[in-house]
Order: sequence, then structure tokens, then C-alpha cells
Amino acid sequence: MRSLREYIRLYFIIEAQYIKARMQYRADFIISSFGMFFASLSSLAIFWVLFESIPNLAGWSLMEMVFIYAFYMLAISPMQILFDNFWQLRFHVQEGTFLKYYFRPLNMMFYYTSEMFDLKGLTQLLAGIILLIYSSVHLNLTWSFPRLSLLLITLFSAALVQISIIVGASCAAFWVVNAWPVLGLASRLREFAPYPMTIFDGAFRFTFTYIVPIGFIAFYPSQLFLRPEDVSPLIYLSPVVGIGLFAITYWIWSKGVNSYSGTGS
Amino acid sequence: MRRYLSLTRASFQEWMAYRLGFFFTIIGNIVYLGVAYYLWSSIYEHSTVIRGMTFNETFIYVALGSAIFILLKTYADWIISHEIREGIIAIHLTKPLDFQLYSLFSSLGGILMNLAAISIPTILVLTLVFKVQIAPGPGLFLFPLSLFFAVLISFCFDYFIGISAFYTESTWGISITKDVIITVFSGALLPLQFFPDTIQKVLLMLPFQAIYHTPLMMITRPDQGWDVFGPMLVVQAFWILALFLLTRLYYNQAIKVLRISGG
Repeated sequence: MRSLREYIRLYFIIEAQYIKARMQYRADFIISSFGMFFASLSSLAIFWVLFESIPNLAGWSLMEMVFIYAFYMLAISPMQILFDNFWQLRFHVQEGTFLKYYFRPLNMMFYYTSEMFDLKGLTQLLAGIILLIYSSVHLNLTWSFPRLSLLLITLFSAALVQISIIVGASCAAFWVVNAWPVLGLASRLREFAPYPMTIFDGAFRFTFTYIVPIGFIAFYPSQLFLRPEDVSPLIYLSPVVGIGLFAITYWIWSKGVNSYSGTGS
Repeated sequence: MRRYLSLTRASFQEWMAYRLGFFFTIIGNIVYLGVAYYLWSSIYEHSTVIRGMTFNETFIYVALGSAIFILLKTYADWIISHEIREGIIAIHLTKPLDFQLYSLFSSLGGILMNLAAISIPTILVLTLVFKVQIAPGPGLFLFPLSLFFAVLISFCFDYFIGISAFYTESTWGISITKDVIITVFSGALLPLQFFPDTIQKVLLMLPFQAIYHTPLMMITRPDQGWDVFGPMLVVQAFWILALFLLTRLYYNQAIKVLRISGG
């Protein structure tokens, strides 16, 4: 087993290579960064237009929605920046280039993940930070040290939930020829995360809380900061949900890696 | 013409190979319909009519908007830019085919497949589960025509992005930006009536609204006369003509910088 320090050192070496290779499409990189930034703000623009016509959404004001959306942006950034390679997994598996990951004395998920670092995803992170500050000022939220630590812990768990859902879905590539629809479905579900879960009832609320727990990506943890007085005790489970889900995803990944037999060429 | 139609048939068959995938797309869309239903129900809890639209009208608009969104997904921009980057385009250039028409007819196969796979389940769920009623009127008959026009306009944007690969090679960024602009400005997610008046006036002058807003207004308010529908179709036809010509000119310019490095 390699030590953690060695892994960190390797991570930077692999990353630097990737960024160099990426820079060959410079024009696309610059447009991508701007595109990503505006894409992050587009759903919010829709909310903003909508609030011209309604006073609140299920009791939530526009600024509260901005806060929840900012939390969502921050929670999905680690997936975008660090785990971006999983969107490509289906191509690697299909074309057989996935085989190379077997031949390194490294943890395979680590090696696979480290091969890509999405620089343009940093603009998404930036959009999240700007929106978080903007809404905090409007909502008179004060960020003391304990509250800031709570924010980091909840963001970490939320990011894990979202990484687990997408990475887990991408693993479908090991068993089906075209895994895109599974991944597309997962990313479509993820887009519902910033909606107030209180607008749903019955099967939808149950699914979004317990089965594909997108409620834990933004809405439930945001309540800790927006309306701490009527928070359900369920929220304190969010780190458990995050770590538990990631463990399940890692198990699925290991199963997939072990069952993969290449393309035969 | 027959040469081009065979391209459509071939791409339709290619998409058929992935029909299992449609199962997930259909599930995704049904979940989306449910989410939209809850979302718009809570938006309409304050008043029965918002910006002149009832809940029923808005829900039909948003639900069919999501179906059109999937219908128009042919990934033509990704396919063309891939062909340019990998040099596959050299093979196409040797064929006695017009590249723009070649791309269009290849995209139509995907659209036909999407039409069969998405529109039927969406309409079934809308009428059976949500008990939505669509009023009769001439708009119902004009909707398919308007939708076909929308397909052509949407293709022009995809084609434009694909061709841009001659300059930028990778077109990830432009593609994503195009998707954002179209979904926000075309009324795909939110009827244009909801936008503030001045913004709405500007959006109605841009080509994006002709992709979603025009066909969707025909089906949500089908009981209007030719004085309303006539100009809408003329505007769509104008954009088709303008965008087809512009993208042709763009192609003629862009092809000059093409370099292909060996085989």
C-alpha cells in the first residue's frame, strides 16, 4: 500500500500532465469557462423571472431560493472539478481504453479520477461563492466560526451524495453497451435538487429523500442555515447518508471493474 | 432526394440499436412531468391565472416543452465537430452530397426515433395520469407543421456549432453556451409571457422563440384564428431561410481553414 502522501504527490503529477494536454484547445477552454459560469446562473435566472409573478414558492422567498441554489452550486462543484472523468467512463469501457487502468500499482478509482481536473468547473464554484455571499447579505445571515464549520461539513456530505449518484450511474457502462441514458437520468434528477422538497408529496418526496436522496444535495442542509428552528432531525444524518452512499458506489465500481473483460481487441 | 432520404433511414436504424436507452429517457421524462406538476401547482397556489395563463395551459406548455427538448436532441453539433476533429469529414467531402443537407437528413433519423419514443408516452401520461384536456381548434393541425419548422431552426444552430470546430476543434464550450441560451431565451422552461414586458419584446424578435414558444403556443391556445397563427408561421419560415443561408455562407468560409493530417 502506498502512503497518503505519495498519493497526493502522484495526484499533482498526473493533473499537471492533463492540464497541459487540455490547453491545446485554448479557444474552446476560454469559451467553456464562460459558458459554464452562465450555465450555472441560467436556472437561477428562471427563478428570478418566476418571482416577478409570485410572492413566494411554497413559503420560500426569492433570496432563500438563491441561498439554496448557491448551496447546490457549491455542492456540485467537487463532482465537476475532481470527478469529471466519470462522464467519459462509458467511452473508455466501450472502446477498451479502460484496460490501461488495470496495469498501474495504484488504487483504480484514484487513478481514474485523478486523470482529469476540470479547470472550467472552478467558474461554477465561483458562481456559488458569489451567490452565497450575495444571499447571506440580503438574508442577514452571520457566519461565525461554528456556523462556517457546519457549512463545510454539510457541503462535504452534500458533495458526496451527488458524487455517489453520478459516479454510481456512470458505472452502468460496465454492464450495458450505451450507459448514457442511465447517466442522463441521474443528472436530470440532480437538477431537481434546488427545488424546495416541501412542494412534493407521496412517492416523489419519499424517492427524493430515501431512494435517490437528492434532497440531501441542497434543500435539507440549507434549512439548517435558513430556518434552523423547524429543521427535522433527519438532517443530522446527512454525513452518514453521504459516506454510506459513497461506500455503496465504491462497491458497485469494484464489482464493475472486476467483471469487465475488455473489448477483445 | 432519394440519396438523402436513405441517410435518414440509416441514422434511424442506428438509433434503433440504442432503443433500450429510451426506456430510461422515458422514465426521466415521466419523473420530470411529475416534478413540473408539483412545482407549477405550488406556483399557482396564490392565484388561478398568472400573466394571462391558467395552470392547465402552463402545464401543457411546460410538459410538451420537455418532450420537444428531447425530440430536438440529435447531437448534430457533437457529431459534426467530432467528424471535423477526427478528419472523418474528408470522406464526406469526396461524396457528391451537399454537407449541410447531408447533416440535416442524418439528424432527421434521430428526430423520427425521438418522436416515436417520446411523444407517445408523454401524451399518454398527460391525458391519462394528469387528465389534461387540450381544446380543439386549428392550432392542433398547425402544431405538427410548426414543430417541423422548429426542427429545421434548431438544426441550423447545431450545424453552426458543429462547423465552428473548423476554428476551435473542440466545441464543448460553444455547445454548452448554445444550450443555455436556447433553453432560457426560447421559452423552453418558462412561457415567454412570464418574462417582464420589455425582455419579452426583445425575445420575440430573436430566432430562439421560434423553436419552442411558437409551436407550444399553438397547442396551448389552439382555438385562435389565422390572424394569430399566420404571422407566427411566416416568422418561423423567415428564420429557416435566413439561418440556412447564413450557415451556408459560414461553412464556405470555415472549410478554407480545414487541415487534415494524413490517414
